[in-house]
Amino acid sequence: MDAILETRGLGKSFGHFAAAADIDFRVAPGELRAVIGPNGAGKTTFFNLIAGTIAPTSGTISFKERDVTRTSGTRRVHFGLAKAFQTANLYGDQTVHQNCRLAALAHVQGPFAPQVFRRSKRLRTVDDIAERALSRLELDELADVRAGDLSHGDKKRLDIAVALATEPEILLLDEPVAGMSRDEARKTEALIRRLASEMTVLIIEHDMDLIMGISDSITVLHQGRVLATGTPGEIRENPNVQEAYLGGHSQEEMHA
Amino acid sequence: MLAGDVRFLIFTAIGLAAFPLALHAVGGYGGLATQICILSVAAIGFNVLLGYAGMLSYGHAMFYGGGGYLAAILLMRAMPAHPNLWLAVLGATIATAALALAIGSVTVRLYGIYFALLTLAFAQMVFFIVEQGGEITGGDDGLQSFPNALLPIGPWSIDLTAPVPPIDMGPLGTVSDLKLWYVFAAIVLLLVLWFTRALTRSQFGEVLGAIRENEERSLFVGFNAATYRLAAFAISGALTGFAGAMRALYDGTVAVDSLGIDRSGSFVIYTIVGGVQTVFGPVVGTAIIVYLENVLSGVTPLWRLIEGLIFIAAIVFLPSGIVGTLGGRGKRGRRALFGALRARPATGVAPPAGPAPAAVDVPRETNA
Amino acid sequence: MESLIEALLNGLVLGLIYVAIAVGLTIVFGTLRLVNFAHGAFYAVGAYVGLVLAGRYGLLAAFVAAPIAVAAFAVLLDRLVLRFFYGKDATSQLLLTFGIALVVEEALRLIFGGTTQRYPVPDALAGSFALGPIQYPAYRLAFALGIIAMLLVVWLIIERTNYGLIVRAGIRDRIMVQLLGGNIRRASTIVFAIGAAIAGLVGAAASPIYSVNPTVGFSFLVPSFVVVVVGGLGSFWGAVLGGLLIGELQSVTTIVFPPASNVVIYLCMALVLLLRPQGLLGESEVIRQS
Repeated sequence: MDAILETRGLGKSFGHFAAAADIDFRVAPGELRAVIGPNGAGKTTFFNLIAGTIAPTSGTISFKERDVTRTSGTRRVHFGLAKAFQTANLYGDQTVHQNCRLAALAHVQGPFAPQVFRRSKRLRTVDDIAERALSRLELDELADVRAGDLSHGDKKRLDIAVALATEPEILLLDEPVAGMSRDEARKTEALIRRLASEMTVLIIEHDMDLIMGISDSITVLHQGRVLATGTPGEIRENPNVQEAYLGGHSQEEMHA
Repeated sequence: MLAGDVRFLIFTAIGLAAFPLALHAVGGYGGLATQICILSVAAIGFNVLLGYAGMLSYGHAMFYGGGGYLAAILLMRAMPAHPNLWLAVLGATIATAALALAIGSVTVRLYGIYFALLTLAFAQMVFFIVEQGGEITGGDDGLQSFPNALLPIGPWSIDLTAPVPPIDMGPLGTVSDLKLWYVFAAIVLLLVLWFTRALTRSQFGEVLGAIRENEERSLFVGFNAATYRLAAFAISGALTGFAGAMRALYDGTVAVDSLGIDRSGSFVIYTIVGGVQTVFGPVVGTAIIVYLENVLSGVTPLWRLIEGLIFIAAIVFLPSGIVGTLGGRGKRGRRALFGALRARPATGVAPPAGPAPAAVDVPRETNA
Repeated sequence: MESLIEALLNGLVLGLIYVAIAVGLTIVFGTLRLVNFAHGAFYAVGAYVGLVLAGRYGLLAAFVAAPIAVAAFAVLLDRLVLRFFYGKDATSQLLLTFGIALVVEEALRLIFGGTTQRYPVPDALAGSFALGPIQYPAYRLAFALGIIAMLLVVWLIIERTNYGLIVRAGIRDRIMVQLLGGNIRRASTIVFAIGAAIAGLVGAAASPIYSVNPTVGFSFLVPSFVVVVVGGLGSFWGAVLGGLLIGELQSVTTIVFPPASNVVIYLCMALVLLLRPQGLLGESEVIRQS
């Protein structure tokens, strides 16, 4: 099947330091793909390249067979590529519902809509999308709470809901359960599993239990390069991967 | 039109009708009411930028003075025989909007101090260019004695310098120094207030507020923040230019100090004292400061010092200004303006989609 | 030719004033993250202290007293108002310091009147000095040398002392300064006072060259901000480079194409902001929005 997201020779250098180099990467539609790697492997750099937060120094990125290498992150959202932030990044003074409404508004109205007289309240579809996103993350009951007042775990789930309210085809999640309690993490894991049945999901995560449990396939980055790609079983058995993790000082991560 | 809009227009109209009478009672003259209305429009324009888009401009005089010069030049060069106030004011407004778009396309990419300084720099450039403008701008002397523009409405041509019939207020005296100019300026202010109110409640205002509160998030839900900010800059510049054009025609003269730093600073003062992020704040701030300026300057040389102290007091004690505080939005307004802006580094040149934290996978506390 | 040399020398003198004010702005920004619109007021206060004292007690007294008085004024300002605004957003700081600048300007106008004044150059430096083909006022030369000496001292303080360590660290990394902990608060106040004292001394010393009036603070502050932006906010050598560049640019344009002399520095700043927003020698990454 054609890839929904593909990179070829993707690289990013900061001066002489190559944070990511020569990454060839393909994700099939509907897949739940995880990207893992020890600290300093270039995961976050790779994630930011895909999301459009930073521009690559070499290589190309294509999304749905369209070259988006030089496309801004904002435009990519409208193409159907949304990201949730590693540290929840919300409109802290707005309600939970309004956070999602704004994202839905951007989706419905486009990157710029000079509606200087019309109020957005009249747009029923916006409310529908926002409510759907909230219910998919089981945040309905918190809809009227100020986002800044949420617990850490709820903030992170709201961040995913906001990304979801842009109606993406591929959802990028940057360490979605980092800092959550065991219960919160398990609940979030179940939610992600359900989302993955409806769209393509790309996760960057440290929590190996989560990754091994829910991923269709895993890509391992090491020192900015792709070390291996395969099913969870293949990755677990891969001697190079074991070497990279156990050989470094990140042994604990395998069992985190 | 909604019932709320009608109520807003009626109450505001009553307030504006009563304003010159109240001003007369406390020692102001008729022309002062007109000046306050016109300057309020400029301050409202400034507040669209500072209050709603979160950008502090120290160069708004370039639009105010620019609008004035453009209206004067249009009047003197393009229609010396048939001076038409509509055409002069609208022409100047459109031209300042274009100027704001051009300058904004450069400035809105910067934040905080950099944005403030770049707007200041452009204003200084405009100031010195006009000052060197020779015959076209009148150089240091500015432009004087241009034809009195008439206001054509339907079959009539109204001369705004005609007096309004005296209004007897019994023991408070008789207001006899009002001209039709006040009626015109008050109607304009009414419409501008209505427009601003609609703007801030509109979808555009909602998105602008979202961008002000969290630009990075806004970019990644799909709002093109730079374009929104540019639009706000253009609307702001056009409103201020519109006011400048009105003021030039009202005064019948325009001078370089309308483009100066002091003028830019005055819009900052009016708006902060009255209340950022409030519809009426700039009007109240302008009324108070301009009134004090005119009344106190005759009484004591201290008035500018007092003005400065009022300004500092407003920043320290009433960050939401007089209107914001009276409206019970003190706490919220403070958080919305200052809290949102604090999210960026103090340099104010925060990269909204900044690469810095993304550079390397650094160990984090959450890696336990 | 003679006029060009003279313009270059004038540009040097003007540029050094900008450098001195800009260095103060930059070290205060580096340590306190405070964008100080009231910094020009320190120059103005120094100039007026100099004006009063020079007439009665001589130039030396003025040069000693002006920086001390201005430093004391700065500490007072810091303790009374400014400290509540550290760590706040740049917009609040800009507004507050703008207000302070207004008040200081008006206070000076009330006390000393709005007229332009100057005090005479002392007899010892009243003559001129032969520099190649031209005669150049001795006071200006002495002034330039004095400023250069002062900047060297400031640079040595930054490079060699503990307070300087805080300045250097602060410019690079605010968190590192916090880790240094302890007396950071007091040290910041001292840095603020030093920045103010520099401006005060320059204000006093420059008054025989450039006359004094209440608006002089703003007139020097705005170009000095241009200097800081051109050189790079937070960079000592950026301030030096920017100051000399802007001073020379302004001075040379005055004889080459006078109508542009006031516009050229703003044009220069706009270009720098567009092409290299972090300034010529600025370290901090400044990214335009994608």
